[in-house]
This record gives sequence, C-alpha cells and structure tokens, in this order.
Amino acid sequence: MSALGSSAARSDGPVKVRGQARYTVDVEVSGMLHCVIARTTVAAGRIIRLDVSKARALPGVHAVITALEAPTHRTGLAVNDQPIFASTYISYEGEPIAAVAADTKAIARRAVELIEFEFEETIPMVDLDESVAEGARLVHPDWQTFSLVAPCERYDNVAGEVFADPQGVDSAFAQAAHVVVDEYQVGRQYQAYLEPKAVVAEYVSGRYLIQISHQYPFSLRNRLAAALGVRSSDVRVIGHHIGGGFGGKLDLGIEPYAALLAKVTGRAVKLVQERTEDLITCPSRENAIIRIRSAVDVDGKVLGRDLDVLLDSGAAAGDTPYLCSIALFMAGGAYRIGPTRVRARAIYTNTAPTGAFRGVNGTYLIFAVERHLDHIAEVVGVDRMAIRLANILNDGDKLLSGQTLDDASILGEAFAEVEKVAPWVMETRPPSTDSTSVLRGIGIAATPWLTNSMPGEATLRLADDGTICLISAANDNGSGAVTMGLRQIAAEEFDLSVEDVTTTLPDTDTQGFDGGSQGSRTTHVVGRAVHESAIKLRQKIFDVASKHFEVDVTDLEIVAGAVGVLGVPSLRLPLAEVAMIARRTVGSLGATASYAPALPSYDPSCATGFLFTTFPNPTYHVHLAEVEVDQVTGNVSVTRYIVAQEVGKAINPAGVYGQIQGAVTQGIGYALYEGIDIGNDGRYQQRTLASYRLPLAPDIPRVEALLLEHPNPNGPFGAKGVAEPPIVPVAAAIGNAISNAVGYQITSLPIRPNDVLDAIEAGRKMRQK
Amino acid sequence: MRLSLRVNSQDYAADVEPGTSLLDVLRDELHLTGTKEGCVEGECGACTVLVDGRPLDACLVAAHGLEGTEVTTIEGIGTADSMSSLQKAMVEAGGVQCGFCTPGIVMTLTALIAESPNPTEHEIRVALAGNICRCTGYAQIVDAVLAHTSELQIASKDTM
Amino acid sequence: MTFLTARSTEQAVSELALRGDELLVLAGGTDVMVQYQRREIQHSSWLQIRRIKELQRIDIATGDRLNIGALTSHRVISLDPLVARWAPALATACSTVGGWQTQEAGTIGGNICNASPAADLAPPLLAADATVTLMSSRGSRTMPLSEFILGRRSTARQPDELATALELKPLPDRAGEVYLKLGPRRAMEVALVGLAVRLMFDDDGVVIDARVAVGSVAPAPFRSQEAERALIGSRFNDVAAIEAAAAALTADAAPIDDARAPAVYRRRVLSPLLARAIAQCQNQTIRN
Repeated sequence: MSALGSSAARSDGPVKVRGQARYTVDVEVSGMLHCVIARTTVAAGRIIRLDVSKARALPGVHAVITALEAPTHRTGLAVNDQPIFASTYISYEGEPIAAVAADTKAIARRAVELIEFEFEETIPMVDLDESVAEGARLVHPDWQTFSLVAPCERYDNVAGEVFADPQGVDSAFAQAAHVVVDEYQVGRQYQAYLEPKAVVAEYVSGRYLIQISHQYPFSLRNRLAAALGVRSSDVRVIGHHIGGGFGGKLDLGIEPYAALLAKVTGRAVKLVQERTEDLITCPSRENAIIRIRSAVDVDGKVLGRDLDVLLDSGAAAGDTPYLCSIALFMAGGAYRIGPTRVRARAIYTNTAPTGAFRGVNGTYLIFAVERHLDHIAEVVGVDRMAIRLANILNDGDKLLSGQTLDDASILGEAFAEVEKVAPWVMETRPPSTDSTSVLRGIGIAATPWLTNSMPGEATLRLADDGTICLISAANDNGSGAVTMGLRQIAAEEFDLSVEDVTTTLPDTDTQGFDGGSQGSRTTHVVGRAVHESAIKLRQKIFDVASKHFEVDVTDLEIVAGAVGVLGVPSLRLPLAEVAMIARRTVGSLGATASYAPALPSYDPSCATGFLFTTFPNPTYHVHLAEVEVDQVTGNVSVTRYIVAQEVGKAINPAGVYGQIQGAVTQGIGYALYEGIDIGNDGRYQQRTLASYRLPLAPDIPRVEALLLEHPNPNGPFGAKGVAEPPIVPVAAAIGNAISNAVGYQITSLPIRPNDVLDAIEAGRKMRQK
Repeated sequence: MRLSLRVNSQDYAADVEPGTSLLDVLRDELHLTGTKEGCVEGECGACTVLVDGRPLDACLVAAHGLEGTEVTTIEGIGTADSMSSLQKAMVEAGGVQCGFCTPGIVMTLTALIAESPNPTEHEIRVALAGNICRCTGYAQIVDAVLAHTSELQIASKDTM
Repeated sequence: MTFLTARSTEQAVSELALRGDELLVLAGGTDVMVQYQRREIQHSSWLQIRRIKELQRIDIATGDRLNIGALTSHRVISLDPLVARWAPALATACSTVGGWQTQEAGTIGGNICNASPAADLAPPLLAADATVTLMSSRGSRTMPLSEFILGRRSTARQPDELATALELKPLPDRAGEVYLKLGPRRAMEVALVGLAVRLMFDDDGVVIDARVAVGSVAPAPFRSQEAERALIGSRFNDVAAIEAAAAALTADAAPIDDARAPAVYRRRVLSPLLARAIAQCQNQTIRN
C-alpha cells in the first residue's frame, strides 16, 4: 500500500475542524497574568520623560517594565539594531516603551493609559529616496555603535547593500537598438494571519518557558536568549498549532516582554495582540522602489541591464540585508540577460520594521522584471509570448551569482503545459474605445524560485503497538507539510497506513534543530531526514527480525506493517512484536538523522555585500492570468488563473493544490486589494481589516494547477519545495494582464481601481496622439 | 452583572460587565475556546456562532441580550464521538490548513446547508463572504460543501 | 451598570423616557459594539432593543406604502418577496451590507440611526421617499428620512425616542430602480459611493419623475434634486440629459480622502456610475 501521491487527510484535520486544536491564544495557565505593551503613537522623536508610577500603583497591576528594567543591548538578524524598549529616541509608530502585567487584560490596558510619556516629535524619515540621499537625517544617529551579525555593507541610513558591477554593462548600453527605462513603486503587504501574535511565558527554576505559535522555534530560542542576555539552553520553546504565519511569525517579536514580566512577577504571563496593534507593527513585506534599465536589440534581446532597488527596512534592518541578495537572483527572472549591474539597498526609515512574507522580495522583483519585459515587447514590436520563449533560460544557464541552473529547461516545459490549456493568441488590436464595455486582458509571468536549505533533524521511534512516532521540531503554519507530507513519507518507508504514524509539535528541549517553516523547506529537507532515519530504523528492525527468524537481513522485507521473509508468506512478524522483542533484548528502537542540503557553488566575487548566496534546489513556474476590467469602476476581476509548477514529486496532491490556490490568493490580494499607505507622519493609514482589504471567497477564481514532476534525487521520493513559490509571479501576471487590457503600462502595486482608471485614461490619451 | 445563556443545549450563568461580547463570555467564562477571536470588528468571521440557527459574529453580540435563545458553537457540531459529515468533508477535501478560520466557516456552512441543501458554487462563496481564510484560497472549502451536499443527495435517494 | 433587554415597544419607550440620555441603545451591534470594543464610547447603561418582535415585520400599509419595522434585519429585507417587488433597490442594498453575519445582526433602523455617511440603506430609502416614525412617551411623529438625517452620525432622534418603522413609496408600474455600490471587492465593503436611482416613465417612455440619491460623497446621504430635474422629460438614452444629470450630481457631491479611497476616485466615478444606473433602470422597466 502506498501512501505517496495520495491526498491523505491531514492528521490534525479533525481537531481543527472540531475547534479542539490548541493555539497559543487558547492556552491558559493557572494564575497567569495578562500583558499589554505600551507603544509610541508617533513615528519619530526624542524621549523626554517616562513615568510609570501611576500605572504601577493601579490595583491589579503586578509589574510594569521599561528600558530601566530590561536589557538595553540591541539584537537583530543581520545588524544588532533593535532594542527591547525605546529609551532615548523613538524610531517608529508602535515602538514598545513599557509593558504591563496585570490580573486582567482590561486592567493592563487601563494601566497603559496611566503611563506618562513625554516626547518631542521630530519629522520622520519616510521617503526612500530622501532617506538614502546624501546628508539625510539619520534614523539611527548611533548606527555605528550597532555591531553586526552578518558582514553587511552599511553606511548612514543604508543597513545593507549588495552591489554587482560586471564588465560589459556600459558597452551594452552603447550598442543598444533601444534603451527601455522603467520605475516601479510597490507597497507593503501584511501577512494577516487569522490568529494574532500571542505568547505565554513562564520563568521556572531559572529557565524561561515560552509557549507560542511560531514558525521557527529554534531560531526564536536563540534570538530570545540573545535579547535577554542568557544562554539559549536557558530558554525552552514549546510550539502550538499556528493560526497562520506566512513569514510574520518567523523571528523575534513580542516574546521578550512576556518573558521579562514572567521573571519579575513569578507568574505565567500571556500576551495576545489586538488586530490593529498586530497590523501596524508586523514585519510586513517591505515597500520598495525598483528602477530598471535595459539595453535591447531589435528583437528585444536584453544585451545589458541596470537594476537598482531600494528596500524599506523600516526602523530595524531585520532580514533586509539578506533580501538585497535576492535582487541578484531575480534580475533576469526566467530569462537570459546580458551583463547586469545590480545595486540593492536596504534603507532605514521611521516606520515599522519590515520582514519576511512568503516569497519575500521575489514578488516585486518579478513584477518589475516581467512588467519591464512586456514594456520591451511593446517598444520593439514583438509579441509578448514570443519574446519570452525566445529568451527563456535553459539547462546550463547561470544566474548572476555564477550558480548554474542544471534543469532550467523545465521552464520551457512549463510554458508548453500552459499553452496546452490556454493557447496563446497573438493580438494586435488596441483596447476598445467604447468607454462602457468590459476590457479583457491576458498576462503571463514566469520565475525560478529556491528551496530554503536550512538543515533539519528527525527521529523515528517504533512504538509498542507497532506504530511509528515521528519526532521533530518541524512545524507547518498550515501547509500540512508535517501532518501530511512527512507522515506519508514515514508511512511509505514502513508500508503502513498514515494513521499509524504520529507526529509531534515542537519542543526545543526534546527535539533536534529544525530550520523552521519557511522557504518551502519542510517536505524536502525534513522529509529527507525522515527518509534517512527510516533507513536506519529499518536496519535495526531487520537486525531484530533476522535473529528471530534466523535468516539473513537481506532476506527480509516490510509489508503492511510487518516484517516478512522473502518468498515465505507464512513468516510474518508484526512491528508491534518486533518492538516487544527488542525491548527484552537490545532496548527500544529508534533512529535519528539530520539533513543539510548541499549548497550549489557560486562565484563569491559576483557582488559585494552578498549575504544570501545560493539558490538551492530551484523550481520553475509559469503563471497565466485573464482579467476583466470594469471601465466605470476600475474594478478588476480575475476570471482565469493557471499555474504550471515543477514540484519534483507530489507527495500529497490535495496538499500541493491547497498551497498553490492559497498562495495565488495572497498574490491576488497583493496585486489588487491589500494596500498600506504610509503618511508623511510615518503612520499607517490602513489600520484594521475593514480598510486593509483581504481577498474574500466571492472574489477569487479557482486556480488551474498543472504539476510537472521531475523528481529531485536529493528530495524524499523526489519532492521539491512547493508552498512558497506560487505567490511569486502572481502580481506580475495580473499586472501584465491589466496592462494588456487597458493598453497602458502599469507601474505600481497594489493596482487599485483609481490606478486602473488613471491607466485607462492615460492609454486613451496616448493613442489619440 | 449576571446573565444566563444556553449554549449547545446546556444552560450556563456568568457575571460580566454589560457590553461584554458573547465571544469573550464563551472563551473566558465558559472556556469554550473553539470559537476564535481574529479582529473584534466583525470583519473576519473567525468568531461565527449560530444564534437560533442564524450565523452571527460573536464579537459583536452583547452577551446579556440572549435569554431565550439557543447558541450553537463549534463544540456543538457533531457528537462527542464523531464529526458531522460536513466537518468530515472539510478535512477530506483539503479545506483545512492552519485551521484558525475553520470553526467559523463550519458554523456558516452548517447554517447554509440547513437553509439551502443544494447550494451552487456561487451561493457558497457569497455565504462565505464574511469568513476570511488566509490559507486555502477557498476552492477546497467550496469543494467540501459540494462533495458533502452531493453525498447527502445520493444518501437521500437511497432512502427513497 | 445595567443592561436591559426590551421585549416590547412600550417597554423600550418607557425606559427611554426615564433615562434616554444615559442609555446606549443597542440593536444589531454591528456599529455600536465595534465602537465599544475600540473604547470609543463609554456607557454603563445599555438598552437592547434587538429582541422586540413587533418591530420586525414587513407589510403593505394603508395607501399602498411599504412599511418595514425598524428592527427588521438586512437579511430578512433582502429576501422578502414584497420588498423584491416594491423596493428592489432596497433589497439589493440590504444584500450588500457586509456579509451574511452582518446582515443577520444589522437592522434597517440601526443603519439609519447610526447615520454613517456611507449607510447603504439610506440612498434607496431616499429614492423611495421614505419616512421614519419615532415613538416616545410624548407620542409619535413621522418625518421624511431626508429631514431625519442631519449630518455625519447625527439624526433628529431625541434621546427619549425610538425609531419604530420606515415607510416607503412602492415602485410604481412603468418604473425601475437600482442600487449601485462602489467597492473593490464583492462583499464586506463600506460603500465608496452608494448610488440609488429610481426612474418613472409614462406610456411613451418619457421620464415623468426621477430620484437620484447618493451616499459616501458628503457628510450625509442626499438626493440630488438638480440631477433629478435634468432627467425629467428625457427619453431613453438621452445623452444630453444624462450628462446634465451627471454634472449636477458631481457638482452636489463633496467627497473626502480616507483610508479606503481618495476623493478623486469617488468624484470621477459618479458620472459613469449614474449613466450605468440610468441604463439599468431603463432595462428593468422594459423587462417589467
């Protein structure tokens, strides 16, 4: 019986559908207190006075902490620039200045209102060009005192810079038949997981116990320990079901406040964020400005390119110095380009620190590259599909980092698969001049994407009843990678039904390192670790059985949860009996394996500031979007959406489909609905789910998913990472479709109805000339 | 101020301030944590419960005004031993990922099917407009309802 | 701190007479509870009126006017056959408020008394010459809806009064009406523009009367009487009349920028949206 390739139901499905799954927000610990964080209401300023005495005196308040009661050193992922509390200056709206622990949340809130906070407002740095200009006011006047975690190239308001400047760029421009220039502006995207951030912290016997819905428990342990100034083994992280993460629950966040209050009060402390608080302080996908110039020949082939990206880090660098490197991988997208200069800078501003959201900056880099390609096609007068097929990457082509893509020809196959279900029609007519008709358009976008290669460990134990315990700190923020994929892989190894494999939630005390639920790595990396430990465990099982049957291990097989002797059907030893025999003889049976994917080679001299250096286990993607545009309202309807995606091996087709449909839906939100406007005051104008619009059921089409399977020899049964990449080309495909519909090049995200009407008008004016 | 409440066919009493929401009473006083809090402004639907069979956002219902009504929460769907067939269909169709929106969605869909045993895809999507799902993109949730109602149809034909 | 659930109009009215200015009146809660959770209002005394059964009804009243109890839910109104026949624009508007949950909780009286500039039900009610009936211990009074809504979240309701019914002029024969709601998604939107148009024709297809009512482009929803005048006497597809009406409507509108959309968007959409509404009214009339 084979578990692989079946759409086996996830093991945690029943508890979730019954409302019995415990998320951190559901955790109750006897005697626990409630924490509310006091946050700044302005984006920049000098702190004059902070007086929490009235808050401390409020009945029901157990403790109030500020920078005076907390460690004052700064920490971070790339630059140590983030304090627990602001103390001398304010760097963004919502920055914590104090935290209260009280008997009830209502009392804690009341205490926050009693805090006296005096500050002198200063003009916040918000605009990216202004922040990066010479002589710009420094967001962090003391930036030079911030130590580095990674060797970032940084100066003034630049937290990190990647710069690649190979030979041949300027001469390409000198020889070009055309030079096409574009600038793209993209806004932030909030992860908007349904479960707000929450944590329950205790300080017991000198150690911090943290209960949390977190995508990366081991990293959190280290980051929290560093922030608190303790050893990482003084922190234990226990993971609960995650009510969505998408990258927003990948790093350190609100944990230090609950942890410190737990130590001070001697009680458990629970902190649950309110939605507005969560929205305005979440490490959202950053806003950015992308400037791209291409030298092209008469056919639209890119002879050379210049790409300049400004990424908004917000008030803390976070992971953005690493994300600058992604610009190097994405500079050509799915296509061959000549020598390319790339400059990507992560910029400090007085806004909430940004961070990782599914696809990171791939979503806007591919938007820029693909929009630009449609523009090139228009300039040189070549069909948009023809120009792509003529320049598409192939086996052996290299990324700008020097890494070779051995299997890039899969892109061509993906295009062919899309063509089968949506034959491309070359079109020559401009949009209708009837101002009341519906405008229709088609857009195509493609991309390679990577599989995160952080290592992972798994242990398999044979239980007394012949079932298998799969023990790992791997978690999924909904994808089912653990409760479907890993479980199926383990079941396959022992020819069991998936119901006979149990999985665990994370606990950093009892499990080995796992690199977190990110970058689609879990099925691939941890699946491989499961596969490796299964091989070891099977060997131990065979050792026991071979002694029992008095045959050689090579004569044994596992069929339907029992060890059998090849060719002798009457000899069967159920795994439960193997477990009992082992107990009496060699002890209980288990095996552990770790997998750290080999990293592809690259050219370290390709760029300065290059921190995220490889594009491991690439996958390939082609998306096609059809849209209808209402000329009266500017509303856009996505009427058809096709994804052709390379998955290696679809361990669970329903799970794969769920990731694709879900990612495309987030991409549609990014393209059309989800906008955060940041005012000159550095504050978010959209602060609730009423104005931060998420896609709803009546708005979203069914995605047609065409899966390509070229098994990856490194992946378990050939599987590659599936869950992250389907969001990456969505805004590009939709942007291309809308531009096609209205006859004007769209250059910003989100593409809101007013932007659509602007484009329709501009296109009409242009054609009248 | 005292209040009485009937939830999942059981009577409860509580003592909370006027204006306290049904959601807070369910979670904090009755410890029925299946109903989730996502936004406290009636946007996300994670707190959907049934009051006399009608789907409402519990975060916007004042707990004190409910004497004489029957409140049904996710804990009241199915039996102690088994899920409802709609719940089963949700799991089988892949309609559950992180699961945080799921209880609210099950409540809305339970009400939909009671009212309209054979809804079209469009009707299902319109019924779900007040329930945000950030993970699935909705298609497999719709699939679950369609599979479930067609199974019901087949079952009812068998008994005719 | 008190919370009283009224079970009859009489009970509610007598409570309001005693302490109307201290009481927070709660119907569906879709606005009041949000404000309370955000700590924008602080009341210690609540009067829940949502459970008053006698105010949840829809009838044809004397004089053929459609009479709707103030506590009838959006959901019930959107599905009611009388409303579908006699006030289809109102049925549409009720079906666009939030999502299913909002429509079950929310009421027509709540929508009107909350008086958001974007209240979905106001434009179709204005286009149907609706009146509001208010009851108090001092008696009862009925006034045109246009006089009831005074401005942003401000009405003529006195603290001791309870809104009990809305009454509308039914859609006549040879007439059509629509409610068009502007918003990027198909549900859960606060209207960026809410436009109701009712056109009444004679046997020759000439417009004999018109109502053009709009929300979200001023502190309160209003009728554009200039736009209405421009349409009277016009025939089907009278481009000049439509343009004049659109110009009048746009001139009457004063939209603002907010977190949901810029003013320029609301303003530029008014003309083509009005043209679309007029065309749909015409088509509806032809079909009926």
